[in-house]
Amino acid sequence: MTKYFVVKTTANQEKIVASLMAAGVKKRRINLYSILSPKEIKGYIIVEAESNEDIVNAIRGVPHIKGLVKGDVSFTEIEHFLKPKKAAEQIREGFKVEIISGPFKGELAVVKRVDESKNEITVELLEAVVPIPVTVKADNVRILEKTGEEEV
Amino acid sequence: MVEYACKKCRYITEEPTICKVCGSREFTKEWHGYVVVIDPEKSEIAKKLGIKYAGKYALIVS
Ligand SMILES: [Zn+2]
Repeated sequence: MTKYFVVKTTANQEKIVASLMAAGVKKRRINLYSILSPKEIKGYIIVEAESNEDIVNAIRGVPHIKGLVKGDVSFTEIEHFLKPKKAAEQIREGFKVEIISGPFKGELAVVKRVDESKNEITVELLEAVVPIPVTVKADNVRILEKTGEEEV
Repeated sequence: MVEYACKKCRYITEEPTICKVCGSREFTKEWHGYVVVIDPEKSEIAKKLGIKYAGKYALIVS
C-alpha cells in the first residue's frame, strides 16, 4: 500500500520541486512512486511513497521545499484532483455550468445531455427567453453546481 | 522553454511532434495540474489516471 504525503514548497515552484525530487530518487533507490501538483493547491505538492522514511530522504537537499506536513493523507482526500481524461466524463445531466469559450462565453446553462464519446454536452442557456438546446465541447464549460448528482 | 501536453494521453513534452507515449500529433499549451510518475506499476495515482509509462503528465488539458 502506498501512502500520500503533503510537502510544502515555495509558491509557483511546485513543478520544479517535483522534477528535482523525481530526478533525485531515481539515483538513490528511494521508494517514491509519483508526485502530484494540482493547480488548486498553491505551495503544496502531494507525494506518493512507500513510507515516511522514503519521503524524508526524498526531500533532503531539494531547494524550494519548506517542510513536510506531519502524517499522511488518504487516497480519498486526493482522489478529486485526479480528474477523468475527458471533460464530459465529469459532467452529468442537470449540472449547472458556465460556458467559458465560444459564442456563448459567459452564459450559464443547465446540462440536458452528455455525449462522452464525442466529449460534447447539450445545454440550455439559463438567460435565454426560449430555451434552445446548444451543443458545445465539454472542455468549454466549467461546472458550477452538481445539482441532480447522487451523493456517493 | 514551453511545455506542451499531448491532448490524448496528457504526456508533457517540449517537442510537440509525435507523442512518444501514444503516438498522437495533437498537443496543447493549455494544460493545468502536473503529475510526475516515477513508478507506474506501484503508483496508485498512475493507475487511477491510466498512466502506464513513467514521465510528466498534465492533469487537465483543454
Ligand atoms: Zn500522448
